[in-house]
Amino acid sequence: MPQRMTALGPGSERILRACFDAIRPRGSGFDQAIEEDVLAQVDAMLPHLPPTLRRLFPVGLRLLEWGPPLFARPRRLARMSRLPAAQALEYLEGWQLAGGLRGGLLLGVRTLLFVAFYQHPEVLRSLEVDWESRAALLTRERAALLAREAQ
Amino acid sequence: MSAQAALPPEHSIAYPNVERGADAAADARYQADVIVVGSGTGGATTAAAFAEQGKQVLILEEGALHLTGSFSTDPITALRRLYRDAGTSMIMGTPPIVFAEGECVGGSSVINGGMSWRTPARVLDEWTGEHRLPDLAPADMERHFARAEQILHVELQREETWGRHSRLFLEGARKLGWEPEQNRRNMRSCVGLNNCALGCPTGAKQSMLVTEIPRALRLGARLVTHARVRQVLFSGGRAVGVRGFLVGERRERRHRFEARAPLVVLAAGARHTPGILLRSRVRPRALGRHLRTHPNAKVVGVFDERLDPWIGAHQTHQLHRFLDEGLLIACSAVPPGMLAIGLPGLGREHAARMRGYNHMMTAACLVEDSGEGRVRLGLDREPAMSFRLSARDIELVHRGVAMTAEIMFAAGAREVLLPFAHLPQISSADELARIHALERRPGAIELMTVHIMGSARMSRDPGDGVVDADGQVHGIPGLAVADASLFPSSVGVNPQESIMALALRNAERLGRA
Repeated sequence: MPQRMTALGPGSERILRACFDAIRPRGSGFDQAIEEDVLAQVDAMLPHLPPTLRRLFPVGLRLLEWGPPLFARPRRLARMSRLPAAQALEYLEGWQLAGGLRGGLLLGVRTLLFVAFYQHPEVLRSLEVDWESRAALLTRERAALLAREAQ
Repeated sequence: MSAQAALPPEHSIAYPNVERGADAAADARYQADVIVVGSGTGGATTAAAFAEQGKQVLILEEGALHLTGSFSTDPITALRRLYRDAGTSMIMGTPPIVFAEGECVGGSSVINGGMSWRTPARVLDEWTGEHRLPDLAPADMERHFARAEQILHVELQREETWGRHSRLFLEGARKLGWEPEQNRRNMRSCVGLNNCALGCPTGAKQSMLVTEIPRALRLGARLVTHARVRQVLFSGGRAVGVRGFLVGERRERRHRFEARAPLVVLAAGARHTPGILLRSRVRPRALGRHLRTHPNAKVVGVFDERLDPWIGAHQTHQLHRFLDEGLLIACSAVPPGMLAIGLPGLGREHAARMRGYNHMMTAACLVEDSGEGRVRLGLDREPAMSFRLSARDIELVHRGVAMTAEIMFAAGAREVLLPFAHLPQISSADELARIHALERRPGAIELMTVHIMGSARMSRDPGDGVVDADGQVHGIPGLAVADASLFPSSVGVNPQESIMALALRNAERLGRA
C-alpha cells in the first residue's frame, strides 16, 4: 500500500508518481523497487523549499500533466499520466530540451527525484559506493591520528 | 585506544549560552553591546573579536545548531538541515545560476570546501587604488591574514589522503606544463573523507562551528538560533537594534523578537545582508547593486580506469596559473545524487551514464566575473538576485571549460561531458577547438556558484558604495557589515579567508571608534 505524501495533495502526488515512473533510471543495474522511498524523501524535502517554489510546485506538475496536447510531438490528446511509458518519456524529454521555464520546471522535478533515487542505500550499494561506512571509519582513524600527534 | 580517543575532540565541544529560538514560548526581547546577525565566517569572527574586547555580544542565527556528531553523508539530510532553501536558491538571468549557501550555526563555513586563500595582491591593489580604500594594501592586511590562518588552522592536505581522481588531475595538468598549487584548507589533520559540503563528521574542517562560535560563547557571547532578522531599528538617525521572528524547524514564524544594542553588525551573506537593509529602508544608491557571483562551470571526465571518486580528500589542488586572467580550475568529487543532477538524459540513458560513476572525475572552472548583478526585494519582501554575465565572463567560461577538458584528456579521459546544451560532450582532445568555435549562447550554459559578494560594497564615496573603509554603513552610526557583501569587487579565489581577515580588521577599527 503506497504511503500518502503529506506535502502534496492527492492530485499532485499522482502526477509526481507518473513523472517518476516515466523518467526513473532503468536498466544498467538500476531497477530497484524503491519508488515509495524516493517519494518519501521528496515529501520530506518539499517543506524546506522556499515558499514561492513550494506554492508553484503543484502548478508546475499540472502543466506537465495537461501539456501533451500542446507540447508533445506529435501532439497527443491525453494527460501525461495516461500516456504509454515510451510516449511519456519522449514527451518529458521534450520539456527538458525546451530550455527556458519549461526546461527549468522539468529540471526541478528531475533534481528532486534523481537526488533521492541515486542516494538510496540500495542504489549506492549497486554503485559500490559506501560513504557512510567510510565516514565512521575515518572519524575513528582521525581520533587515533590526533591522539598519536598529541603524544 | 581509550574510549576518550574514539571520537575526535570536535565531537565534545561545549556550546554554552545558546537559546533555541524554535522552542520559545512567547515573544522575546534581548539587550547587548553588539548584535551580530549571522554566524558564518564574518559573523562568528566579528562576534569572537568583540567578545574578546569585553563586549556583551548577541549572535542571531536563522538556522539551527547542528553538532559535528550529527553530520551525515546523505545529501538530502544535509540539504534539509544545513542549506538555505534546501540548496535550491537561484540567481536569475541568462543563464540562471544555481546558488547554495549555509543556513545553520557556522553558516556556509559548515558546508564549504574549506579553501583558505588570501585575497590576491592585485585585487587588494585595485581596492586601494581604484576604490581609494585606505589600509587594505597587502602589507596592511598581512597581520589580519596571518591571524585568520591561525584561527582557520590552514594547512596542506596530507598526500596519503589524495584520491585517484586528484592524482589524475595533477598528472593531466602537469602534462600540459601547468603546475597546480596544493590547496590551502582550514582543517586539522584531515583524513580525506570528502564530506565537506555536507558537514564534516570527522571534525577535521575547522569551520566556525568548531572554532569562532564556541570561542565567542566561552567568552560570554549569547547565541539565539532560529532567529530571522527582518529589519534594523533606528532612533535619532542611528541604528539601535533589530527585530524579526523566531521560527520553527520548517522556518514557519512562531514569535516576534526585538534586540537592542548600540552596534548592529550584519553578516547574513551577500543576499540577505542587503535584503535586511532594503527592508529597513536604508537606501544608499549602491545597495544591492554590484553583485558578483564567481560563476562555476562543471566538466565531467569519463575514464576507462576506475577512479572511485568518493575515496580521497576534497579538492587537494587548484590551478592558479590563469588566476590573473580571471580563471581558477580545480577538481572535486561529488556524491552520486549530486552528480546525477548535472548529467544529461532521463530513464535508461541517464542510468547508463550513472553506471560509470566510479570512472568519473568532476572538475570546474571558476570565473572572476566582471559582469554585475543586483539584489532586490521580491513581492514576498525576500531578497531576490539577478546577474548578467559580461562578454568577458562568457569568453572566460568557454576558455576555462576548454582548459579543464584539456586537462582531463591529458589525464586519459575517453569522453568529457560539458556544461553546454549545444555541445554536451566531446570525445577527444582534437575536438577542443569545437568549444572555442562554439556559438556564444549564454542561455545554453549550465552554471552554479557558492560565492556571492559585493552587494553592499565598501567605498570611500557614499555615492559609490554602502559601507565605509571600516565596514560601517555610510551615514548611519551603529550599523556595520561584516560579510562578503562589502567586497568592492570579485576576489577570484575562495572568499573565506578574505571575509575573515576583513572582519578581524573591521572589528578592531570599530572597537576603537
